[in-house]
Formats: sequence, C-alpha cells, structure tokens
Amino acid sequence: MKRRAALAAGALAVAGVLTGCAFGGGGGTSSSQEPSAEGPVTLTFQSLAFQDTTIAATKEIVDSWNKDHPDITVKLQQGSWDNVHDQLVTQFQGGTAPDIIHDESADIAGFANQGYLADLKPYLSDDVVNAVSKDVWSTVTAQDGSVVAAPTLMQTYVVFANTDAFAAAGVPLPDGKELSWDDFQALAKKLTADGKYGIGWGLKSPTATVMNLALGFGGTFFDNNGGSSTIHVGDAELEVPKRINEMTYSDKSIDPVSLTQSGSDVLPGFFDGSYAMYVGGNYVAQQLTESAPKGFHWAVLPPLAGSEGTMQAANPQTMSVAAESKHVKQAAEFIDYFMNPTNQAKLAEGDWLIPASAPAREQVAKDTEGKNGWSAMLASGESLTAAPFQSAANYPQWKDQYATPSLQKFLANNISADDLKKQLTDGWAAVGG
Amino acid sequence: MSTSTLTRPVPPVAPPKRRRRNTGPNGGGRDAWLLVLPALIPVVLFSVYPLMQGILLGFTDSKAGLNAVVSFNGLENYARLAGNELFWNSFRIGLVWAFGVTALQFLASLGLALLLNLDLKFRGVARTLALVPWAMPPVVIAIMWRLMLNPSYGPINEAMRTVGFPGDINWLGSFSTALPAVIVVGVWAGMPQTTITLLAGLQNVPAELHEAAAIDGAGVLHRFWHVTLPALRPIIVAITTLDLIWNFNSFALVFVLTAGGPGGQTMLPMLFAYNEAFRYGEFGYAAAMGNVMVIVISVFLFLYLRGQARSRLS
Amino acid sequence: MRQTTTTAAPMASGFAARRIGRPLQYVALACYVVFLGFPLLFLLLTAFKSSQELLSPNPTFLPESWNFDNFAGAIDKANLIRAATNSLIVAVLTTIIVTLISLPAAYALARFRTKLRTIATGWILLSQVFPFILIIIPLFLVLKQIGLINNLLGLVLVYTVWSLPFALWMLQGYVAGIPVELEEAGAMDGGSRLLILRRIVLPLLAPGLVATSLFTFIGSWNEFFFALVLIQDPKLQTLPLTLARFVGAEGQVQLGQLAAASLLATIPSLVFFAIIQRRLTSGLLSGAVKG
Repeated sequence: MKRRAALAAGALAVAGVLTGCAFGGGGGTSSSQEPSAEGPVTLTFQSLAFQDTTIAATKEIVDSWNKDHPDITVKLQQGSWDNVHDQLVTQFQGGTAPDIIHDESADIAGFANQGYLADLKPYLSDDVVNAVSKDVWSTVTAQDGSVVAAPTLMQTYVVFANTDAFAAAGVPLPDGKELSWDDFQALAKKLTADGKYGIGWGLKSPTATVMNLALGFGGTFFDNNGGSSTIHVGDAELEVPKRINEMTYSDKSIDPVSLTQSGSDVLPGFFDGSYAMYVGGNYVAQQLTESAPKGFHWAVLPPLAGSEGTMQAANPQTMSVAAESKHVKQAAEFIDYFMNPTNQAKLAEGDWLIPASAPAREQVAKDTEGKNGWSAMLASGESLTAAPFQSAANYPQWKDQYATPSLQKFLANNISADDLKKQLTDGWAAVGG
Repeated sequence: MSTSTLTRPVPPVAPPKRRRRNTGPNGGGRDAWLLVLPALIPVVLFSVYPLMQGILLGFTDSKAGLNAVVSFNGLENYARLAGNELFWNSFRIGLVWAFGVTALQFLASLGLALLLNLDLKFRGVARTLALVPWAMPPVVIAIMWRLMLNPSYGPINEAMRTVGFPGDINWLGSFSTALPAVIVVGVWAGMPQTTITLLAGLQNVPAELHEAAAIDGAGVLHRFWHVTLPALRPIIVAITTLDLIWNFNSFALVFVLTAGGPGGQTMLPMLFAYNEAFRYGEFGYAAAMGNVMVIVISVFLFLYLRGQARSRLS
Repeated sequence: MRQTTTTAAPMASGFAARRIGRPLQYVALACYVVFLGFPLLFLLLTAFKSSQELLSPNPTFLPESWNFDNFAGAIDKANLIRAATNSLIVAVLTTIIVTLISLPAAYALARFRTKLRTIATGWILLSQVFPFILIIIPLFLVLKQIGLINNLLGLVLVYTVWSLPFALWMLQGYVAGIPVELEEAGAMDGGSRLLILRRIVLPLLAPGLVATSLFTFIGSWNEFFFALVLIQDPKLQTLPLTLARFVGAEGQVQLGQLAAASLLATIPSLVFFAIIQRRLTSGLLSGAVKG
C-alpha cells in the first residue's frame, strides 16, 4: 500500500512538471524579430542540394553573399531530402531549426499551419515577387495569406530515351511539342523485345509522380476550401496509375521489378541497355551527363500529354525562414538575394531543374542554348500549375500511410482500381482530412 | 538484441549463487547508498523521470506546433488508437516479426550451439563468425543485407539465376517477400547472443547425466530430449524472453532496411510510433502507442513465463 | 574458462552415432559458416570493386582488381572522419563516465545485501521492456531544457544512462567473483577500506573492468536510435547516422563506397570485441549462468 501511494504521489508530481512546461511550448528563449541591434549576425542555412554541381553553386552563392555582407554571415549546413521532414519536425520542436530552411512546397504546408514559418511578404523585393508567376506563389502562400517561402526550382517528370536503343529497334525518336500517353505506350511496346523492356520506371515512391502526371488528365485529387480539403478520386485521377499498370501487366513493356525500386536503383539498367526509356525527374539529366558510361547516348522526349495537356504540378523547392529565428529580417534578405535570376540560373543549371523565376529561365535558355535536352525540359516547365495537393495540410501523412502503400499495391497488381480508389479516399478520412 | 539500440551483452541469466551477506563492519547501508548515488542520480534524471513523463504523455494531446498547449485528454488517444487500423496492422506485423525472429533465432542458435559443443574441426571458425554480428552496428548489418538482397546486383538473385530460378525478385521491395526477408536478417543479426548463451548452458549440463542415460541405452535424440533440454530449460526461457522483448522493440535494423515499406509491410510498431511522433508531430498519440506496446508485451511475457513456471512444476 | 573443456561433446559419445552423424554434423556446420560468413565476405569484396565493375551486368565474385578508391571516396564524400571523431568522442566519454560511476555502485550491489539490490535488478529488467519511443520524447524535452539537444554531450548523457544497467550487472558479477576472504584478510592487516579496495579489489577486478568498458564502448559506437532523434546538425552526426544517410542519399548509388564506409565503421567495435569475446563467452557466463 505504502509503495502504491508513493508511486501515485510521484506520478502527480511528474504530471505537474509535464503540464507546467508543456512539451512543445516555445521554451521562451526566442520569440521572433527583435529589431536586431546593429552588430554582426550569423545565420544557418540548411541546404538540401545533393548533386555536386548544385552543392558547388550553393556554396558559391553563399560565399559571395558573405563577402558583400560582412555583418550577416551565412553558415551553410548540409541536409538531405530523405529525412528533411522528420528532421524539421525535431528541429522545430527542439528549437534548433536553422534560420534558413530549404524544402519543397508540398512538404511545408503543415509547418506553416503550425506556425513555424515566418511570413516573408514584408521582406521580399518587387523584382523577386514579379519574377515568379502568381500560380507558383500560391503554392507557398498559407491559408492566412502569409507567404511562408520563396519558390526556387521546380522539377517535372520527363522521359529519357536511350537513342541507340531506338536506332537499333528502328524506331524514330518522337519529336514535336508533346508526347501523348497513347504514343508513349505504343513506343514502349515497340521497344520491348528480347528480354529488354521499353521502360524502366523507378516508382518505389509513386505518389508524387502520380499526383503530378494526373494533372495532364485533369486529375486534381483535392478541393481546398479555406482551412480544409476534401478528396475526390475519379477516372481522371486514376488514369495514370491505370495506364502504368496496363503497360506493365498487359503490354509487359515496363519492367515490373523497376516499379518496386527507387529511381537511382533503376538507372544502371538504363545505362546497360535493359531499358530503352527511363522516366524520372529532370534532375536525372545531371547524373546522365556525369556518370553514364562512355558511348551512351540519350535524349529527353517531349513532355507527356494526357487528355488535358502536358500540365504537371508546380511543386517548387522552397526557401523559408524559421519563425523562431532571431534574425528573420536578415534571413529574408539573404533569400531575396538567393532568388536573383543569376543565382537561380546557376542553381538550375547545376541541378538541371527549372527555375520558378522567369528571368532565370531565360538566362538558362541563353546559357545552355537549349542543348542536352534543356529546351524540352524548359518547355515542360511552361505548363506547371499549382496543384491542390500542395496546400492540403495532411498530405504528407496521407502520402506515407495511405497513398504510397495503395499505389504500390496497385502497381504490383495486387489490388483493383476500385480498391485503390477506396483506399485513397478512406485514407484521407483516416488522417483527419 | 539485434536492433533496437545499445548493443547488449549476454544477459547474466541467474544471479551468482554465492550471495554475500553484508560485510561492512559499520552497517553498510549508508555506505551502500553513497556508493550507488553517482549512478542513481543520472538514472533517475534521464531514465526514470523521462519514462514516467513518457507514460503520462500518452494521456495528453501533445502535438507539434509553435507554442502549442498541452492538456490531458484522458483515454481519448486510446479510443482513437482502437479505431486505427494501420496501427493494429503494424502491431500484427510486429508480433509476426518478434515471434518469428525469436523462434527461428532460437532454433538456429540451438543447432549451432549443439554443433559448437561437439568436438568438431573448424568449430573455432564458426564460433568466431557467429560472434561477429554482435559487434557490428545494426546500421551496417542493414546496409550489408541491402547489398545482398538487391534485385539487380545482389548475390542472392545472382545465385538463383545460376541455379535456374527467376533471379529478379526485389526481396525488400515486393509485398510478399519483404517481411520474410527482414525476418531472416533479424535472425542473422541476433544469433550471437542466443548462441553463446545456449552454448554456455550446454557446457554446464553435467556430463554425468549424459553418461548415466547412455548407460541406460538411451539414443542421441532421446538423451537430447530428456536430458539436455530439461537441463537447459531456465536458460532457454530467459534468453527467448529477452529476445522477444528486444525484437519487439527493435528499430535501427528495419529502419535502414526498408523504413517500413513496401506499403507498410514491414512497419514495426516502433517505426510506426516513431513516424507518428517525428514525422507527423503527434507526440501524445505516439506515447500512447508506446504505452499500448508495453502492456501487450507484458501480457505476452506474463503468459509465457507463467506457462513455463507451471510446466516446470508439473 | 574453466568450464569449456570438461563437458565437451557429451552428445557424441557412442561410436555408432558418431560414424553416421559426423559427416552430417560437418555439413550442418558448413551451412552455418556460409550463412553467417557469406554476407561479411560479400561486403568485404564489394568494398574493393570499382564502380564500373559493380554496375556490370555480369558481376564476378572476386574483384577484377583490388582497388582502394572506394575507401578514399567514402572518407572524402561521406565525411567519415568527422563522423568517426564524433562517434569516438561520444563513445570514449560514455565509457569513462559509465566505468567511473558503475564501479562503486557495482561494488555496493555485490557486497551489501540491501533493498537496493532488488530495486536495481528490477530496474535493469524493467528498462528492457519499455520501448524507446516512450522515453525519447520526454528525454528530448529534458535535454532541450538544459540545452543539450543537438549536442554530443547530450548524447553522452543518454548513452551513459542506458549503458548503465548492463555495465552494472556485468561488473557486480565480477565483484561477486572476488572472494570476500581476501578483503577480510586485508582488513585484519589493518588496511583502511579504501586501501583494501585499491590494493586488493581493483587489481583483481581489472579484467572485468576492461570487458565492461569495452562493451560500453561498442554499445555507444553502434547506437542509432537516440542519435537519430537527438542529433540534427550534420556536423555532429555519429557514424551510424552518417552511414544511414549515405544509403538513403538520393542520386547515384555508390555501392563500393557504401560498403567501404560500412567496413571502416565496423573495425573498432570488431577489434574491441575480439579482445573481450573470450571473457564474454567463458568468464561472465560460466559465472553467471551457473545459478
């Protein structure tokens, strides 16, 4: 008895402490901008750049900023796309978030709602604001109208072709402004023979790809009204997974194993000629130029077009400032500098991505003269539109827990399209809409 | 042990037989406290206290958010959990994993321990190899097996191709093979502790018992069943119990191998709770999951140990 | 050690059984050796293969030429040196602290029969049952309050606490193995308690102390989960974290480098383990298991 009483007392005491210091309460050290007393300031910038060229470009930009701004030093810190979400959750919670945060728009909606990201609107210059389309700005605007990030680079999903494999099969490379899904499908069939597949497609994480390409068929998945989002999964939304499934199991023109692998795992198969085509983010072009074996020739095919056109989601990479940063103003100034066309073009060329800023796109077109697939890639960037999924707050959780598993199952031919539809819809309800 | 966290030594299965009485000339009680204090303070501060808080956290709505307010919400988390199909699914996977790994680990280790206990040549090699996984970081074990199981360049598929089987299985990436593959890795990683413990047990089985049985004309199998196993029993119970707990709570190995994929097929409860807390910011809810895990594992342990104790008495 | 030879091969007595059984036993042993050893061998060989060779459609088992580029590449690319330094700092500090505080406590637990002993044993067993998810969230909070999030010292603190149960348990086993009569004899010779401890107990305890500290070292060196949650700054990452990131790293797969880095990371624990393994399998167990 005595022991039990002691335990209970202990529990109560702990409870007091627990509620007292409210796990997650801001700790009280830093509440946003104190108009920084003049004096040198150091900011940390967590960059997710992962290709050598982009890492170098980022470093160059930071160095030149530091040279021009002796009183605002930016310290570069390397993060990774693989764990950025978990890492930010922990960092925000622990009050150790970097001042300047690199992420992507679909990932930050939740953080914005939780109040972790500062409003950049007061700090961004007109040049930067006007360089980016309204549509793209909308992907980084929170429900309360605050601008929680500056959009930098965007990717599209493109089809890479092994031109030698095309030649060997006597198939001409498609040209023109777009490549319809029907033609794409026919092409893949023609290139499938002798144990080789027309397409290797690393779809281990299929959700983002499907969300993006679905727009070409008018599949939007979500309706956002004010604070909440509702889901609708109809024929338009299911068209892309259905087609991939059909190509894999009826046409047998996609290697089913590749669907279970990551993009980088599939790349060796593209290099050694097992696949004539490879679908992936346009940044893969950088890896093709850098590490393809000698004598490997490739091209970027025209953008894939569904019934509605070549639209894909503008899901830009983003630069945000932590709301708890002590130097929001200075951090925003750096972002403004980071956004200038020269810098953005430099980064875009390093990563083979499309700048959100129009002047930067022009710069890239000029620098690269449209070679190495750049014209096709920049063209695909023209039809990037804001997609509702980016603003749906619970999208990351829905994606992990429901969309990715059910899409994986569907692409493994384990469940029917109706099951997929049901699981996607029920999943949204389960994560609380 | 394998996976969850700090590498664990073989559990000292029973306390040393020779108990010493209080030998201090001047009582010793206070001395004892003084000596223990330096260890006690950090344990209380950084383990007992957080644990208590963790348990309580499971009854709050703590969530990520700037200046989020935490309040107790009673059993709400548990009501929500009851309806969370994904969590229960992960629980089922966790049990399949924990029991699967523990059972296979036990059988494989018992076999190996019996062999090592024989006077075979090269047993030193096998013994050394059996110990290596113990020293390896779980992360490295996971990396190694990812290389082994890779569909395109992994030697396992390569070997299957050579023998004429279809060699294009993505072991860790396809729905039907992911969990079995992960279990095999779990067995590999956890064999040392079990083997060594069982071996030590075997070496303590009095040889006279065997001799007596042999004189009575008992065969090898008969002697194994009626002499060796009963003598090993306490050790078997202890090591399988610990294996079960460790496996159920394991994290690093599967985190690196599959991160719970494909489609949640290998989403162990620890991974699930980790995601809930550190991906979706649901701290209270994740702690509630931890509480449920404690209860379930305790129930299993209770049933198992009671079952063992009963059959020992009868 | 004393137990290893006396009862070897109790099962194989009986000449007939031996003749049929032996070949089978060797086959079984060979299977175990392959199962346990092949992955290690493969990791080793992969580390020496060039990236062209690894991606070739017809891989050979042995590397065509042994090259060390992967090791250089891994050290350079994955910041292995920095990560290893972090791991070393954490593991060494943890080991020192654990040894210092568990030594007196282990002595007390082994020599004084108080309630403490029961409580300690209970805690050691109980601490195994609780999943780390329950501890990590509040621990995160506690460490945040004292500014030790994202800090190697914070990690040292956590590792200390979580290595302590087993270190204590191992050590008190060793203390219990030292005959009390020796201490009593020392006391009769008029030695002070401290002197007895230093002159008599400590030297006898040395091997056990070494084993315990190396074990603590290996545990901290290998640990992943706490580091994953508590360390956010890439500069402070420990080896397991760095390696896990390296696998996940988007872009090109550098299998050879990954294998090389994994090997390098394993060497310290392997070496230490080799030193203590005899002791683990014989000393500790034959003492402890013989209940």
